[in-house]
Amino acid sequence: MADDISREDVAAVYSAVAETVADALGCDREQIAADVSLIDGLGAESIDFLDIVFRLERQFAIKIPRGQIVDDARGALAEAEFERKGYVTDAGLRRLRAYLSEVPADRFPARMKVADIPRLFTVETFCKVVVRARRMTAS
Amino acid sequence: MNTIDRYRTFAFVDRITEIEPGRRARGCFTVPATLHEFPACLVAEAIGQLAAWLAMAFDDFRHRPVAALAGEARVLGVAAPGHVIHLTVDADCCDRDRVAYSGRAQMRDAPLLELRRCLGAMLPLAEFDDPEAVRAHFATLTGPGAQPGGFPGCPPPHLETIAHTAGTRLRAVLHVPTDAPFFADHFPRRPVFPATLLLDAQIRLALDLAAEALAAPVATLLPSRITGLKQRAFIAPGQRVEIDVEQRAALTDGVTFSLRSAVDGKRTSSASVEIVRRADA
Repeated sequence: MADDISREDVAAVYSAVAETVADALGCDREQIAADVSLIDGLGAESIDFLDIVFRLERQFAIKIPRGQIVDDARGALAEAEFERKGYVTDAGLRRLRAYLSEVPADRFPARMKVADIPRLFTVETFCKVVVRARRMTAS
Repeated sequence: MNTIDRYRTFAFVDRITEIEPGRRARGCFTVPATLHEFPACLVAEAIGQLAAWLAMAFDDFRHRPVAALAGEARVLGVAAPGHVIHLTVDADCCDRDRVAYSGRAQMRDAPLLELRRCLGAMLPLAEFDDPEAVRAHFATLTGPGAQPGGFPGCPPPHLETIAHTAGTRLRAVLHVPTDAPFFADHFPRRPVFPATLLLDAQIRLALDLAAEALAAPVATLLPSRITGLKQRAFIAPGQRVEIDVEQRAALTDGVTFSLRSAVDGKRTSSASVEIVRRADA
């Protein structure tokens, strides 16, 4: 897994994250699975991301700045190397695949719009966001 | 048009009496005596507008919040025309991305409405209004105050019933006017049909359904609580909004309805409302 987040780390927060996602989206807890895409699988929209992030921040006493996932995925790669004319570059896609290791490989299109990156995010993606944010808060 | 005349047709804060930008604000609004009524949704709008001033002042008028979601609104009283609504907002967090707040409104020391767990996304102010005009109006509100009595009221929207099952479900189309006085304020550079007017229309339909379900006159019923309100998209002048009000549960002394809306099949809002019998009925 990317950046040494273990399965145990994810499991420790999964139940609370899944419950939060279900509440925010108004869906049954049974519809939530670790690998379900929030947008394509659960119909989430941008306002739902706002809601989910705020709820997670309050629940876990963390801060999740807007755009954090993409910024972290880009890492040391310059913006111009990560995206070009609204599309993720090949180098950017490699970074994304490595960072979002919880996302099934077949969900990464060969040519990807930057605006479509959130479509990749799963419930497990947000579990990892919470784990990282908690580490940041603790350090 | 000077700023005093400009911010009158859909502005519900006459004065800001106390403000710690990004943290807390108090203000007031005088309900024009010429109005027949001032519904709960507009009281909620007033609280939301005070929260917007709180956030804009904190952000130095670069961004403004737009209504995104409200966890809960408790309706505790009815605002009487000709009297002053006292508003209070407390921010849980405020940054350039969003403002989270709760708020309340009172009239003559009696509670009118409480808002809890509200969240608004911050968008570039210049998309909606002239930042310097907004800043100047803020100076007016925190100084001498705006002249009360500017709000002319809103005519009821044009609603066309599509399907109706008595007491259970009602689907209708709300025809958003192409031109209305409130668009001048909401917002000068980007007219948007106010979410609170949509909610008010939906609640009125829920009251009609509740009257059928409970076999009671509409005048004996009132909305007591609105929960899970999410505004998912802007509604532009001239659009057709498909409204769906459906009974979800019976309460001890009332009914709960889901309120949904969509434009061209795309969701624009969702909420639930509890309709109960008035205590004095």
